Amino acid sequence: MNKTFKIAFSLRNTYRVNTILYSLKQIPLIKRLLPQELYRDPDLKLLGAILSGIWEFIKAFLGKLLYFLLMVTLAAGLYETAPTGQIFLHIYVLLTLIGALLNTYIFNPTKDKYYALILLRMNAREYALVTYGYEMAKVLAGYTIFGIIFGKMCGLMLWQCLLLPFAAAGIKLSVVAYSLRDYERTGRAVSENQVGVKEWLVIAGFLAAAYGLPAIGWVLPAAVSSGILICGILLGLLSVRKIWTFGEFRELYQQLLIEYMSQMEQARTSVKRQSEKAIQIGDTSGSNREGFEYLNELFIKRHRKILWRSAERIALVSLGIVCVCILGILFVPEIKRTINHLVMTNLPYFVFIMYFVNRGTGFTNVLFMNCDHSLLTYSFYKRPECILKLFRIRLREIMKVNLLPASVIGAGLAAVLYVSGGTDEPLNYVMLIVSVIFMSMFFSVHYLTIYYLLQPYNAGTEIKSGTYRIVVLATYFVCYGFMQVRIPTFAFALGTIIFCAAYCIAACVLVYRFAPKTFRIRA
Amino acid sequence: MRFTIEHLSKHFENKEVLHDINFTFESGKIYGLLGRNGAGKTTLFNCLNRDMKADGGSFCLETEGQRKDIMPEDIGYVLSTPTVPEFLTGREFLLFFLQIHGESIKDKASMDAYFDYMSIAFEDRDKLLKDYSHGMKNKMQMLVNIIAKPNILLLDEPLTSLDVVVAEEMKQILRGLKKDRIIIVSTHIMDLALDLCDEIVLLNHGVLTEVDKTDMDSQEFKEKILEALRDNAAM
Repeated sequence: MNKTFKIAFSLRNTYRVNTILYSLKQIPLIKRLLPQELYRDPDLKLLGAILSGIWEFIKAFLGKLLYFLLMVTLAAGLYETAPTGQIFLHIYVLLTLIGALLNTYIFNPTKDKYYALILLRMNAREYALVTYGYEMAKVLAGYTIFGIIFGKMCGLMLWQCLLLPFAAAGIKLSVVAYSLRDYERTGRAVSENQVGVKEWLVIAGFLAAAYGLPAIGWVLPAAVSSGILICGILLGLLSVRKIWTFGEFRELYQQLLIEYMSQMEQARTSVKRQSEKAIQIGDTSGSNREGFEYLNELFIKRHRKILWRSAERIALVSLGIVCVCILGILFVPEIKRTINHLVMTNLPYFVFIMYFVNRGTGFTNVLFMNCDHSLLTYSFYKRPECILKLFRIRLREIMKVNLLPASVIGAGLAAVLYVSGGTDEPLNYVMLIVSVIFMSMFFSVHYLTIYYLLQPYNAGTEIKSGTYRIVVLATYFVCYGFMQVRIPTFAFALGTIIFCAAYCIAACVLVYRFAPKTFRIRA
Repeated sequence: MRFTIEHLSKHFENKEVLHDINFTFESGKIYGLLGRNGAGKTTLFNCLNRDMKADGGSFCLETEGQRKDIMPEDIGYVLSTPTVPEFLTGREFLLFFLQIHGESIKDKASMDAYFDYMSIAFEDRDKLLKDYSHGMKNKMQMLVNIIAKPNILLLDEPLTSLDVVVAEEMKQILRGLKKDRIIIVSTHIMDLALDLCDEIVLLNHGVLTEVDKTDMDSQEFKEKILEALRDNAAM
């Protein structure tokens, strides 16, 4: 057992350390600093092991701290229908039942279990028992510390606080023992991640009882809660024998893990299948155009649904919101001033809204999956003049797609401004519409440019560029940051228009200069 | 016509995959590129096709003493896994290709003649490429690569996953294409290399070497190739 524990732990640690080092290797600049013998370097291994240890510690304690703090203690403090300690126990009992159902550990198929049991063929019973024992020890340790701290804060007695960890472990053990018995009876191993409708209903019921009942004054008496916890401990003690003597861990895991791996495989290929599905076979009408215009027209026609549908929906929803605003102003004139003020000062918010509305990444994703992935393997397609010609055509198309929601939002904003009392400066109306359209153009150019300059996909359609990921993430944060900006609409609109125009010109220059070299399938 | 590679090198971090390669291929021949797993065959093709930037060296075409740089249209690269734009029909893909190349294709034939040449059945020509079988996709890929008559044709494991009938058809097509052209076929399968290719070139430790076949029967030749690969691996 001791040996199994050591191997299981070191296997999981190695896997985690390597994952950390691999992730470091994906970060631009840092990857250049790392040596090729990354996985052999003792210093880096040590760094990885420290990070992995920190992660293990966070998993063991931080999650439990947040659970006790947010889900039990603070939640219990919200109600005044009973003493806090009593509500604390009420919520804790019900959440523990949910946790035991959702988080069995033994029935959770994970990669490290697959490596240990299927690839390395370790002794399944020993592996299951030692790793489960380790998890239970973490539960006991974490729950004892936070149970005492938060339990005492809420006015529980020490003996009640001490019930908390042992009851949680006991209820978890009971659920596992029940599931193992169920497996012996039916021969079917059910992953804890495959929660059926019946289970969801039970969980929803417990959740509603945990947080809903105290609101109407129905709280389990502290004695009942304590009684349930004591029963949980007793049941747990009885269950230990079942788990200890269970003899079919190998068969159980074989079933669970092979099913899990095939699900992972399906998830991996589903992106490709999804993009193939996006091709609309029904539309067989051709095109009268020539060359790249011909290719583009057929591409747009056969991907109309995926490329245009969400833009159309967003335009429709935006139109609905504008109508609601206008009707609101007409029927409740008191809000006129507030809305007028909002439109005149909150244009920076629309940077973030336009970021979400933009279909840029979806567009380039379909472009790669269903078109460039195959055509980039032909030399004629990589000729500079072909790359640039197609870039121009695509820029036009992506702008068209994004223009639909942008024009509805821009015109809608101007309409709301007018109905809410208007502005002394008529140019404001124009600025609103034009700036929103320029923002839309900016995102169109931005996403297509980074796609052409960083072409992030490899032949297996996986994103391989760390820089691309960082640019996408940075775009999000910059747009989010604009929500904090308060600038009068006119000034912001003018700034936006100038910046977007300059960015578009700069981006196109960069594409013309570098895309013939960068627009390649990643090796 | 000769295809000359000079001082071509490529490394990934500390590992040198192509080491100062100097080699000359001649037109009218099919070259079989043999190498062990991870020897760098695909890297060599990727560098020649400029999908990957080489660290150094150059390659050019030489016709009657005149050297010229290799342009994208000089190279046709057929991948082992056929990739075709799946939203187009076979006919549309071909039409698009012919339109792009316009006048540069000499002796342009009718589209159906091209399909006939590749033995693609009439009823399949107007199907979406996503519904083509593996072999049919492979034929489309090959067709588009040879139609513009590139001077150099690179084929990466071209026949490995094809059924025997399609594989035989492809071999015939390749033999018919070799006149006035350089064809380089990378493969793991020695029998295929010996059956299809006029010359055998080994890629080992980043270096290309031609295996001389003079005065040898095929068994002796096989032994010699294996010996060379084993020796090099042991180096």
